[in-house]
Amino acid sequence: MSQPRREPRATKPSPPAVETRPAPPEPAAGARELGWRRLNILLALAIVALLGFAVRSLAPGAFAGLEGAARDFFTLSISVVIESLPFVFLGILVSVLVQVWLPPDVLYRRLPANPVLRRLVLSFLGMLMPVCECGNVPMARGLMMKGLSVGESMTFLFAAPILNPVTIITTHQAFGWDNGILAGRLAGGLLIANLVGWLYSRRGPAGVLKPSFEEACAVEVSRHESGGKVRRSLQLFSRESNAMMPALFAGSALAGLIQVAVPREVLVRLGSDPVWSVLALMALAFIISICSTVDAFFILSFGATFLPGSIVAFLVLGPMLDVKMLALLRTTFTAGTLLRLVLLIGTCSAVLGVVMNLAG
Amino acid sequence: MLSLTGIAATLGLALTGKLELYIHPRYVPFTVGMAVLAAAASVAAFILVPPEAAEGAADGHSHTDGGGHGHTHGRPGAGTGSPGRLRAAGSLLAVLAAVVGLLVLPPAALSSEAARQRDLNLSGTLGPAMTSRLVEEDPSSFGVREWASLLRRSPGDDYFTGKTATVTGFVTAAKDDPQNVFYVTRFVVTCCTVDAQPVGVPVYRPGWQEQHAVDSWVTATGEFTSNPDGDSKVELLLSPSAVTATTEPDRPYVH
Repeated sequence: MSQPRREPRATKPSPPAVETRPAPPEPAAGARELGWRRLNILLALAIVALLGFAVRSLAPGAFAGLEGAARDFFTLSISVVIESLPFVFLGILVSVLVQVWLPPDVLYRRLPANPVLRRLVLSFLGMLMPVCECGNVPMARGLMMKGLSVGESMTFLFAAPILNPVTIITTHQAFGWDNGILAGRLAGGLLIANLVGWLYSRRGPAGVLKPSFEEACAVEVSRHESGGKVRRSLQLFSRESNAMMPALFAGSALAGLIQVAVPREVLVRLGSDPVWSVLALMALAFIISICSTVDAFFILSFGATFLPGSIVAFLVLGPMLDVKMLALLRTTFTAGTLLRLVLLIGTCSAVLGVVMNLAG
Repeated sequence: MLSLTGIAATLGLALTGKLELYIHPRYVPFTVGMAVLAAAASVAAFILVPPEAAEGAADGHSHTDGGGHGHTHGRPGAGTGSPGRLRAAGSLLAVLAAVVGLLVLPPAALSSEAARQRDLNLSGTLGPAMTSRLVEEDPSSFGVREWASLLRRSPGDDYFTGKTATVTGFVTAAKDDPQNVFYVTRFVVTCCTVDAQPVGVPVYRPGWQEQHAVDSWVTATGEFTSNPDGDSKVELLLSPSAVTATTEPDRPYVH
């Protein structure tokens, strides 16, 4: 029915249902021809890029017209992109490894059958994968495609950026064991991630995932043995990067825009009030979109301005949700789900922070 | 496309040595390594995987729901129907924006506009322990950050007497006394440019606006004296014997 909408790109018309699709080696000759054409496109792109560089280096003044805030917007957005890009790629690569090269039942055999314990074990999966939160999105998508439930994947998604060796080391370097900041961060992350996982395991997957991603999962689970592994890896890599990149770029641009528009001192001034400083630092964590592996150093640089509970709220919320993460998560979850997650995780972090402030 | 743009930008910046404008030097090897890996994978996928297979699970079967609404991925030209065309146009726009932002515009450091928005010397300065260690060191190698830290956590006014400071940074106006005082400012970067925090040394120079524009780079040399404006929060100021204009250094940030 929707056949005519597709471009007649290759010898074989694409089948109406995917179950009949696999077997990629079939149109081998057409594929090779296509490969050549793509190589040519790539070469053309490379030449254009080189020309661009040449123009820019020959006429450095030509594009220097941007000043002040507009220039800072680009600088900040690019900085977020460049900082996150390697982590996203690493996440995609690990996710591909798990999906294609790990035998399908390895993961299941090791996981306990009890759902609560199962999620608990999954929250420590990040210990094996020192990736910050941006890399965890492709990873969680991969886990869901591998057949894990939504709740279980969410537990991993939100726990892993906090419960991972790099984050723990950097947080320890920044704060030591003082004021229970490290302990609060780890316990808070673990608790909230498992709470979210528990809630979503009770709720069922309906309306949580974007329909297109849900179908991709269903198909992925039913087809394990199609094509060579290298080919499937490349396929997955390009599909996942195509899904992630627009989100990453949009999220970075948004983060850059907010930072140019909102003066940071407004938030920092709220300093020492036990309740307001929690909210201020949570807002800061949300808009600054910094990676969990380094955020401890960032907040340390604010020195003694903030109470420990507020810092914990910053360190717990930031890795789970921020502007960039929302854009990345939107590739997989529905908007309603994200809204509920923001409310839920936001409330939990705020309560954690305020309680720590008042108790300490 | 977008990933290729990002990879090209990363590698291009690395080749021209400008990557440090965006991230801390300690992340450069990791970033470049991942970019090279990703470039290899993307190019291989682009050449080896036929489009049907590449679009495989994510695209093909959404046809079963009768119309392919709700594609998630932004592959340009994935469909040719009107939603597909809209999507393709959106993707094209995104790619264009990314190419312009990442490849066409010259790489730039943050401007004084950003410094004005963030609190000066609140958080970029060194901690008390590091600062008290500074007191024992040779002050001739100190830059903006060291002097700003010393001024903030003053080891006593005696420390400053007879010491000459030479600081290089960009000019920002002092908020409480823009007529007479400006700051020689640098950004401190702990991870990437997003977390850049401004630090600055106050310089007493009435009428400085006539010689130096805000955001221009200067080197100031002089001794510290007490602020003639006794009401100001800033007690010590650099009274320069010379303020000379200079160009932005290759490493505009302090790491």
